[in-house]
Amino acid sequence: MRVTQGMLSNNMMQHISSSNAKLSTYMNQLSTGKKINLPSDDPIIAMNGMNYRSQLTQIEQFQRNTNEVHTWMDNSDAALNQATQSMQKLRELAVQASNDTYGADERQNIKEEAEEIKAHLIDIANTNVGGKYIFNGTNTNALPIDEDGNLSLTNDPVMIEVSGGTKLQANVDPESVFNEELFNDIDSFIDALGGNDQATIEQSVESMDENITNTINARADLGARMNRLELIENRLSEQEIVATKTMSENEDINYAEVITQLITQESVHRAALSAGSRIIQPTLMDFLR
Amino acid sequence: MSTFHGLEMARQALSTQQSALYTTGHNIANANTEGYSRQRVNFETASPYPAASRNHPEIPGQMGTGVQVGSVQRIRNEFLDNQYRAENSNTGYWETKANALGRMERLMNEPSENGLSSTMDQFWQSLQDLSVTPENAGARSVVAQRGLAVAENFNYLSESLTSIHSDLQNQMDVKVQEANILLHQINSINEQVKQIESHGNVANDLYDKRDRLIDDLSNSFNIKVSYSKSSSSSLDIADGLATIELVNDNGKSFREPVILLDGNLGLEAGEGSKVNELAVSESGKVTAGGQTIDIMESKGSLKGLIESSNMYTEMLTGLDDMASVFAEAFNSVHSEGYNLEGNNGLQFFEFTGDAGAAGSITVSLDLINNPEKIAASTDGNAGNGDNATALADIFNKALENDPLGNDNSVNGFYQSLIGELGVNAQEANRMVDNTNILKNQVVNQRMSVSAVSLDEEMSNMIKFQHAYNAAARSMTQTDELLDTIINNMGLVGR
Repeated sequence: MRVTQGMLSNNMMQHISSSNAKLSTYMNQLSTGKKINLPSDDPIIAMNGMNYRSQLTQIEQFQRNTNEVHTWMDNSDAALNQATQSMQKLRELAVQASNDTYGADERQNIKEEAEEIKAHLIDIANTNVGGKYIFNGTNTNALPIDEDGNLSLTNDPVMIEVSGGTKLQANVDPESVFNEELFNDIDSFIDALGGNDQATIEQSVESMDENITNTINARADLGARMNRLELIENRLSEQEIVATKTMSENEDINYAEVITQLITQESVHRAALSAGSRIIQPTLMDFLR
Repeated sequence: MSTFHGLEMARQALSTQQSALYTTGHNIANANTEGYSRQRVNFETASPYPAASRNHPEIPGQMGTGVQVGSVQRIRNEFLDNQYRAENSNTGYWETKANALGRMERLMNEPSENGLSSTMDQFWQSLQDLSVTPENAGARSVVAQRGLAVAENFNYLSESLTSIHSDLQNQMDVKVQEANILLHQINSINEQVKQIESHGNVANDLYDKRDRLIDDLSNSFNIKVSYSKSSSSSLDIADGLATIELVNDNGKSFREPVILLDGNLGLEAGEGSKVNELAVSESGKVTAGGQTIDIMESKGSLKGLIESSNMYTEMLTGLDDMASVFAEAFNSVHSEGYNLEGNNGLQFFEFTGDAGAAGSITVSLDLINNPEKIAASTDGNAGNGDNATALADIFNKALENDPLGNDNSVNGFYQSLIGELGVNAQEANRMVDNTNILKNQVVNQRMSVSAVSLDEEMSNMIKFQHAYNAAARSMTQTDELLDTIINNMGLVGR
């Protein structure tokens, strides 16, 4: 084949430009840390990339949701703990007051203390966390118990999605703790103290026990759900690790590999340039005098 | 035999070698001219003496009378030209397509943190946040704004795709105009060639120019070139007049041949050759010389442009489907829920303007101004976020009645749109590389035949110069011979 200068320089230009293109690819990969820049570089990686990103976003969002569930549950638990203590205090007072050596005056004093505890229980029922009344079901904007002690409890469960399709109840059913009966029992105890009615006071011990059991049951139920939440949280953080890893394996470069490729390509490029400079330079003219 | 035979022979040799030197100079001068084919002076021995005739002198054998210029010929292989043109239409087709798809890829900008996909993800997140804190005014505003961002992203993609689409249509018109201009230029060269060839000359540099124009034309579609003798007095080595026919992918003529430039017709009618101008419709129908054919059957950049513009339409349709299906599903779930005022939800997404769904989708202004009207609740209570969860579910689950086909979710459908784009663009890029390699191979082969080698020209120059010098010496020798005859003969005894 007859070879001319034009062909030599054309071929050289082609090789150098394809070598430049490869250098630019490696450069892009190194500076972005990603295997691909456009979907056409590898459509499968691109599609999977989009999918993994959505998955990771979802997992991160569900973790954010579990934080909110935590807030609900921790606050509910703390409130129920206080409520239990208050009710136990009431029971102690009832036991103390049922002692028949107590006179009307002493029972009057106990009545005042019982009234304070009732007010405290109302406060607890009206617990507000971040602008939400947590003991009023989904009706979080309304006071469960108003100033006059009127109850307007909503017992719809507050459901929060904690992983794809799984919802967890975040609140405690207020009806099972701060119900009409509890406050009726307290009121009749307070009335009995005022009326120095020993028989009713004795009865109150029993009714207080019942209310304490209700509260403890509600707490146990909440505790079970807190356990479940923890399990879900563990699973989510495992999923996060797996998803991040999968995404990384899908689209992140292996730096060692790409740098090696870059260096190899660089030496190929140097060789091409130096070969070019040797071939293009001399012509017959250089040797004819 | 003439006394001055030697002088005449040397003179002719000098001028012949000189013309070879000039042609060498012409080659060197055009070493870097695109499309130039090297030229060669064909030397011929001059007619020997005596010529065969009735009264030729009876001498044994014929005597050579020197050299003369037979013709100046360009070195070119027509077969390689045909190969180049076929490859060039392929390259044109794939390059146009790769270019248009590359623009689409950069426009869609996936996968990235800024594409439609991540905007949709963010919208989904905001709905989840709303489901967790439905009483929060902040969470509501975020939902409204993120919804607006999704709508605006749809609008942006739709507008940009439409504008590139019409850009491609313009390019198509320009391409056709360009082809028609090329045809007219080739036609006018045909006419010049005819004038030169009829005087027994060869128009080498005009052939080069014409071949270069035909090369350019072959980028737009597949063509077949044939040549016809321009006049009865033209030489056999003359190229003649070019006739250009539009042919299909395989290089075969259409059933009714589409002649773009007729080199023959003019000859018979006593006029110049005739151009049949091309016209192309948006659907890819091409008419020329009364014939209508489908340009999609002839690979080239024109077909590439039409296919790319169809791909833009497909992507637009895909986005329109996605926007309208998503908006409809979203609105229907939204209207079943209750807002903070205890009423059923309004339309969340609306369509304004007459562009397609993706171009006209927007979030209801009422909701943006009053985010408390977002229906996050299923029972009217402020703390119920179940409807927001239901809204978030739309993104990833297959929709009822399969409006997007194949059990596709909205996100899945978009992923498949991008996947398809990626596969198409990948194929186009790969084919650009492949066809370029093939084209370059042919280019090299063609250059191997036709390109100027400076080393070669330099050797020729020395060769011709030596011959020239020797011819001059032979003239001097004749001169001395004549000197002997004229000045030194007949002087016996003086």
